[in-house]
Amino acid sequence: MSGLLERAHTVRQSNVWIYTTMMLSACVSLLASFVLSVDAIELAKNPAANLACNINATISCGTVGISWQAHLLGFPNAYLGLMAEPVVITIAVASLAKVRFPRGFMLAAQVIYTLGLIFAYWLFYQAMFVIGALCPWCLLVTLSTTLVFASLTHVNLRDNNLFLPERAHEAARAGLRMGIDVLIVVLWLAAVVALVFAKYGLALFA
Amino acid sequence: MAQKSNKQKNNKARAFSSATKSEPKTNRSTTESQRELMRLQREREAREKKVRTGVTIGIVAVVVAGILAGLIWLIPALAAKKAAGSDPYALSIGSATAAVTVDIYQDFMCPYCGQFDRAQASDLAALVNAGTVKVDFHIMAFLDDSSNGTKYSTRAANAFVAVAQREPSKALAFNTALYQNQPPEGSNGLTDTEIADRARQAGVSDALASTFASMQKADFVSKSNQAAFDAGVKSTPTVKINGAAFKGDLYTAGTIKDAVAKAGPK
Repeated sequence: MSGLLERAHTVRQSNVWIYTTMMLSACVSLLASFVLSVDAIELAKNPAANLACNINATISCGTVGISWQAHLLGFPNAYLGLMAEPVVITIAVASLAKVRFPRGFMLAAQVIYTLGLIFAYWLFYQAMFVIGALCPWCLLVTLSTTLVFASLTHVNLRDNNLFLPERAHEAARAGLRMGIDVLIVVLWLAAVVALVFAKYGLALFA
Repeated sequence: MAQKSNKQKNNKARAFSSATKSEPKTNRSTTESQRELMRLQREREAREKKVRTGVTIGIVAVVVAGILAGLIWLIPALAAKKAAGSDPYALSIGSATAAVTVDIYQDFMCPYCGQFDRAQASDLAALVNAGTVKVDFHIMAFLDDSSNGTKYSTRAANAFVAVAQREPSKALAFNTALYQNQPPEGSNGLTDTEIADRARQAGVSDALASTFASMQKADFVSKSNQAAFDAGVKSTPTVKINGAAFKGDLYTAGTIKDAVAKAGPK
């Protein structure tokens, strides 16, 4: 058992694991963004369009899709995913093929993706507490964005692409070795799921 | 000199990253300092392993707790919900914990449904507001043939289903609004615009009212209609109180209120 855990621990630190996670999460995010973009066009043509993901009053991408929050910048938010996720996929695939990107490049990727993460959770907050409906594809984006962010941050902390001072970098690496990042992600996602159930409960299945 | 200290630093760094690899021995003092470093390294690894085990236990605990919460809370809750409301086409208005459930099977083109509503609506609204009664509407549209081909039953029902699902607090008012000056059987019924206007007057949001014409709930209405027939409903209005058919006078104010008082609260 402990041998298995140690193996899992070693595998988790490997580039193959990290970049594969990043690549798959980014692919999922891209797919979800694509569906949301197509739906956005459908909703623009007909705001009352009955989308396949309108499951009930709570789980309804139509309700979320026609809200002002869904096109905060004047165009559907999902277009941002169509722009950003292919870059992440490229980084992940190239890194799997042992390409090393310059630190400055990775720092820029981290900064931009962090903004994306903040935006994703702002949207989640709006959907939860202001719009009062959840859309499955948006939730998938929230989840996969979190995973991409976690793997990107893992790499950048490990390789000190964030230009941290020596001590901070060493502390960050120690944290990664001990799996504290995984604990944070698991607790975070558990909190998100708990929040959804606490707010909507059985209405999710109505 | 600068180069040498750099090299030492490199050795040090390597010793940090891997304690098991043997380092080239240059001189005695380096070996001693390397031993010291290796000892520190081992100590640190032991410490980290302890924390790592704790973290792993923490992660497993969170995941297991999540699964247990799902098993203990969610599954029984879902089962109870399924047992309580086995009809997926019932549109529930009012508190889920209300002591008495009143089922109403209705078609908006049916004159007796209008008569029923005009007699009982204010009592029902008061009982729902008090939390005593939950009304389960079962929408039917079998009188579609009685509106000169405009399918008024389905059009009105479509609007009502949308309101009951999206803005349930306005559903009773909208229901009553549809029955006031109810179009007679055999007429064209209200136009889509008139239906939306009545909804707005009942407090339904403009955003929702403007979606009626696209008939998003038409499929729900036809399934709901079929489900009601399948459940043995033969005419409208059919009223059930806590599941038992109400056989009294439907069209005199107060009769439903009395029957509710008899049926509950338990």
